[in-house]
Amino acid sequence: MSSPPTADPRAEMLQGARSLAEAPPPGEARGITSDLSVDEALLLHSAGWEPVDLVCGVAVVSVPVGVWNWGQGTISAATDAHNTAVESAARQLRGECTKVHGHGVVGVRVQVEVRPHHIDVELVGTAVQPVAGTDGGGTPFVSDLSARDFILLKGAGWMPVGLAFGACFVYAPRRSAGVAMKQKTQNVELTNFTEAMYTARESAMERMQRSALDAGGQGVVQVRVTEGPMSFARHAVGFTAWGTAVRLVADSHQFLRPELVLPLDDAVVTFEAQSLRGK
Amino acid sequence: MSDGSPDLPEAAVRRLESNSFSSGLSVPDFAACLDLGLQPVALVQGFCVMQWGWYGAGSGYMRGASPYFGGQQYPGAYAETYRCPHGFVSTEHRTWGQNIEQPWVEAAWAQGYGSAYARMLEEAALHGAHGAIGVVDRVSHLADTGTTEFHFLGTAVTVEGGPPPAGGTPWSTYLAGQRLTKSIEAGFMPVAVVAALASVRVWAYCMTEYLMEGARTWGGPIGPQEVEQVSKAHMAVRQLARKHVREQLAGDALHGASIQVEKRELAAGDEVIDCTLRGNRMRRFKEFDEVPAPRPTVRLT
Amino acid sequence: MTQPQDLPKDAAHRLEELEHGLFTSDLSVNEFLLVKEAGFHPLGFVMGSSIYHIGLQTRKWGESQELTKLTEAMYTARELAMNRMEEEAQALGADGVVGVRLDVNYYEWGSDSAEFIAFGTAVKAEDGTSHLNALGKPFTSDLSGQDFWTLMQTGHVPQGLVMGTCVYHIAHRKFTQALGSVGQNVELPNFTQALYEARELAMTRMQDEAGLLKASGIVGVRLEEKSHQWGSHTIEFLALGTAVTKTTGTVTLPKPITIISLDN
Repeated sequence: MSSPPTADPRAEMLQGARSLAEAPPPGEARGITSDLSVDEALLLHSAGWEPVDLVCGVAVVSVPVGVWNWGQGTISAATDAHNTAVESAARQLRGECTKVHGHGVVGVRVQVEVRPHHIDVELVGTAVQPVAGTDGGGTPFVSDLSARDFILLKGAGWMPVGLAFGACFVYAPRRSAGVAMKQKTQNVELTNFTEAMYTARESAMERMQRSALDAGGQGVVQVRVTEGPMSFARHAVGFTAWGTAVRLVADSHQFLRPELVLPLDDAVVTFEAQSLRGK
Repeated sequence: MSDGSPDLPEAAVRRLESNSFSSGLSVPDFAACLDLGLQPVALVQGFCVMQWGWYGAGSGYMRGASPYFGGQQYPGAYAETYRCPHGFVSTEHRTWGQNIEQPWVEAAWAQGYGSAYARMLEEAALHGAHGAIGVVDRVSHLADTGTTEFHFLGTAVTVEGGPPPAGGTPWSTYLAGQRLTKSIEAGFMPVAVVAALASVRVWAYCMTEYLMEGARTWGGPIGPQEVEQVSKAHMAVRQLARKHVREQLAGDALHGASIQVEKRELAAGDEVIDCTLRGNRMRRFKEFDEVPAPRPTVRLT
Repeated sequence: MTQPQDLPKDAAHRLEELEHGLFTSDLSVNEFLLVKEAGFHPLGFVMGSSIYHIGLQTRKWGESQELTKLTEAMYTARELAMNRMEEEAQALGADGVVGVRLDVNYYEWGSDSAEFIAFGTAVKAEDGTSHLNALGKPFTSDLSGQDFWTLMQTGHVPQGLVMGTCVYHIAHRKFTQALGSVGQNVELPNFTQALYEARELAMTRMQDEAGLLKASGIVGVRLEEKSHQWGSHTIEFLALGTAVTKTTGTVTLPKPITIISLDN
């Protein structure tokens, strides 16, 4: 790429102001909508990509009554509900992306709410495409990586292929009163507890890996793991694992060769609108 | 709103008459703005305080909105009806439900937001400004008065040697500083800040109510099941917000959009979902040209 | 050294020590380097304080109005603190004060009273040119070292931290009023007008201060809204900014390089 001539910002500003004062609005059928920050949009721009539209997918899936009550092992109804909800939300997201001819969705914000009777999953992101406008062909990718991460990754020869996720809900095991009494004064590993938690965590991770493999991924980056008891049922513990499945599309990994900089600002000074109002 | 600006309080007029500029821009943004040939002229504001109620259950105002009462219809508004598949007839059984858009809520919001915005632009126009940059808007509840305040703040600027804005209305943007410079460099000129609220009321029918309360076994166990009515309402409210905003875009692009969803659950499955979408309406004024790729760096600290 | 007028004895003593070449400052190393880059040398950390008893004023329950007595108290107290800080700076022979922070403290022992404090770092131009403002006083500004440097590159110099304040009482709504408009989302013009008036008064007063300094403009205006200890219906609207004048008008700021940081 030859570096473009650096234009005079004043001249460009004038050009913009004139076009606004003189030319009518384009009036095309639809304008581009994106929730990318300007930084991200410009980054995409510098890599020859552009946002197409804001897309979302939401699914609310019911959880049958009674599944959170005491039991043993995996709460398969909740686990299934979670997986159904994520799959349905992702399907809708991909559907909206295809409809606007996007090649994929970046910067997906994932919101999962587990309630006693239903699990809500909300995915919001921006569909993107190369400026050259080649046809996407095939399934659009979905990624919770920011546009910035997407550009970096792409520059290095990798592409996201899809969201990898997995969840597992389990009942905390119980000890019989007798066992509990016996262990009261001892230092002892509660092996059944260890095992239950361990298994659940493994199961969530395994599910995530499987979904990555299904999407044709070679790896999963930015995995985030959440775990903890349900607020409404303390004896039920949920584990989730999220990440973006990626695969190498170039012949080999492309090195970035970063420069070293010594910043003189105390914090990264960015335009922050709220600062106008004081603290 | 034109001459005489009847809407502006006396204090504003007095302030606007003085000849030094004030700007809400930070110093880096101020520097970038000078670099673009923009001259700040004044910090401009606009407000609108609206009475605000939530139309909760039992409020007389929801009559006409509910499928149980029948009543006024809003042509073109989103509505979807669900009917009981069981054929029960009972006062306790919700034989039908509805997802309906609430255009009157949307209109009130648009009025508050629009008035405050128009007043800010009016202040800017009074200065002979060409545009308003670094716009900040806030929608907040005022003390305990049952009111909602729409508040706009921005820095009015003139473009050195630039033409007056089309129709006398200044352009506006949430952006300022280097972000604005970069957008211009990439060929996008700010047109306006745009926002819209979409509001959808979900009246659950029996299936939704049962699923949201925890699906019971009706002659056989059932597994996880998507709650179609609620999922659809959620998708609809987001689509409506995008539709309302797109109607204001006239083919321009929306950059840096933010989408916020607020829901208030009234009963199992019965809820109101509000979705606000706002962003910068930008117009492409030149063909795509390359901007230099940023240099990857690592901090040496 | 000019003897400061209304500063405590210890302050004069501390300032005397600073005259022997030692400087103190709350600038970070980065800010220190950038202040030097802008052609200034830090002289010392300066401050001013005033503990002020804020009087009482009756408010009408159902009426929006400015509480002039409270406005005056908030304004005078800050002004006193700022003046004392400026005096300290003047005693050091400073051209200006950067990084000014204005704080309000409440103590348990002083009901209805508050301490207003101003801090900053006094600086002096290294080439000996005077940067005193139109009133012959050192300039003040709440700019950080980075912002100070950037501003100087744009051909502007700070003149003073300017402020305007307005304490306003927002009316309660009568029950019958609230009832009358149930179920309608309509504009309440009285409320709009009250808020408009209050904020405009604060901003006009700030601009009047800038006028006294013969400034060409104000940058970094912030609008703060605080209820202090008066309950939620009484709000102080405070407008703060740095008044600047244009010197050369030429922007010598180099074109920034776009980078993509690989740091987390």
